[in-house]
Amino acid sequence: MDATGGLAGKAVTGPSRRRRLPGLGDLSETRFWAYWLLVPSLVLILAVVLYPTLWGIGLSFREMRLNRLDLGTGFVGLKHYYAMADDPVFWLSLRNTVVWTVGAVVGELGLGLAAALLLNKDLPGFRAASVLLLLPWFLPNVVAGHMWALMLDPRLGVINDMLVKVGILSQYKAWFADPDLALAAALVVEIWHGFPFFALLLLAGLKAIPSDYYEAAAIDGAGPVKQFWYVTLPQLKAIIVASVVLRVISLVNSPDIILILTGGGPGRSTLVLSLHAFLKVNKEFNFGSGSAVAVVLFLLLMAFSYLYVRLSNVMRD
Amino acid sequence: MPMAGTQRSRKIGDALAMVAVAVLVIFAVFPIVWAFLISLKPEEDIVTATLTYIPRRVTFENYVAIWTRSNFPTLILNSSVVTLITVAICTVIGTLASYAVARYRFLGRRELMMFYLVIRMFPAVMIIIPLFILMRGLGLLDSRFGLALAYTTFLLPVFIWMMKGFFESVPNDLEDAARIDGASRLGAMVRVVLPLVLGGLVATAVFIAIGAWNEFLFALMLTTSTGSRTWPVGLQLMVGEFQLPWGSLAAGGIISIVPVMVLFALVQRALVRGLTAGAVKG
Repeated sequence: MDATGGLAGKAVTGPSRRRRLPGLGDLSETRFWAYWLLVPSLVLILAVVLYPTLWGIGLSFREMRLNRLDLGTGFVGLKHYYAMADDPVFWLSLRNTVVWTVGAVVGELGLGLAAALLLNKDLPGFRAASVLLLLPWFLPNVVAGHMWALMLDPRLGVINDMLVKVGILSQYKAWFADPDLALAAALVVEIWHGFPFFALLLLAGLKAIPSDYYEAAAIDGAGPVKQFWYVTLPQLKAIIVASVVLRVISLVNSPDIILILTGGGPGRSTLVLSLHAFLKVNKEFNFGSGSAVAVVLFLLLMAFSYLYVRLSNVMRD
Repeated sequence: MPMAGTQRSRKIGDALAMVAVAVLVIFAVFPIVWAFLISLKPEEDIVTATLTYIPRRVTFENYVAIWTRSNFPTLILNSSVVTLITVAICTVIGTLASYAVARYRFLGRRELMMFYLVIRMFPAVMIIIPLFILMRGLGLLDSRFGLALAYTTFLLPVFIWMMKGFFESVPNDLEDAARIDGASRLGAMVRVVLPLVLGGLVATAVFIAIGAWNEFLFALMLTTSTGSRTWPVGLQLMVGEFQLPWGSLAAGGIISIVPVMVLFALVQRALVRGLTAGAVKG
């Protein structure tokens, strides 16, 4: 059976090869085939995402400090949440999170839109340029962070050197040592890292707008500005809404680039909520309290995404 | 005469657009170019009173230093293993799942895709904390397999969303024809559809691979020794603990982004298509 199946498989490429896997082939003819295909992914997601997440939410109501095991892992109710509400560090990092996220999204969307509008002109060399512009988005945070740290260095940084040569600065600045500048400097790095995401999606959106829309607008006497306002923007709106939600989620959730650039300092001037939660776990080993911050972060994001999508739908109608 | 005027203003507009794009490209690639230039400079040319832009003497000693005088090769090996395991898991499991959601209309399909989208909203920290404790209990902490499993938490949903688009771009008729010829559903999927989406599958796998290769936060939390530590964590620790010299840091960075740039260059066409497919459909 096996031998003939193998031979037949070589001679005839058609259905005979199926006989090697009679079980699966037959299974695929049953009514529940679609569900069978989904089972592995569901099992994995349940095991590595859903179960840990529920566990983590439970953890936020319990005591757990890996460096104070004598405290036990008892149920403490809302203790961590009350402590959070009284903690000025929480409120400061919440404020920083808002500044960080809004600043980054505005900067990235603005620069991304500008890049997409320019690249949509299809002039010579623009295809290569659009590929090069994507590079920052694919670079690892660790390398991106350190490349910029080298460029912004207070003694040997090339950006300081350029700014002094051009005459914008009178002397080198220690960007990440100044509490008033550190967040802005980190934002520049983040915008560099994230704007290609918007450029990519918006360029695809621009290419999908039928050219007759513009022709019709031109016949009606609309100039470039009016065409942008009444044709381009409404057509891009769905993409802008969706990409902003996705970007906000990942900006709020991932402390990577701030962790690498400043570690939250100087002082706590660049401490964002996700980093606050991570440091609670990674430095203080306070798993219960860290989980509580993460849960609050998640709830804030859910509320934001819901309201934002709702509001943008309302405005469309 | 008015025609000539508009033509001239269009030419000026195009020229301005080209200048603006050039500025953007310089902004995008300058950090990489600068890190590359630093990696080629000897230490005494990096730490100087007056900055030299173009290396006066090109040297590879920084690359030799990071490769031979640190555990960088081990870190790169660990990252490669973790990346391969992640890609293998996502490709096998994710292909099956994305084919199902692309081809079949079943109860809960929309909800399932929403669920895979909402998972992105889970803060990494919220998953890292319990994963740390659970993996410690299972002996998966500080193992390359455990880290790869952790990466599937955010990469598998991305894989499924991207591959769904590629599967949907293959017309149904081809499977129907194969089915009439006697192929089973599985046979039609493996021998008819998969070869057609191969380009998309490779691009999606590359995207997942880049995500796993670059990942920092999970690795920082879930690895504790050189047995499983990946290069982003290792490089970060070298900077923090040993005051890694600039030249070596830049060389390490360049080494680690070469695979990313090569893979990206190879599949960028299909990758851009896959990443933007959802966006254009709205």
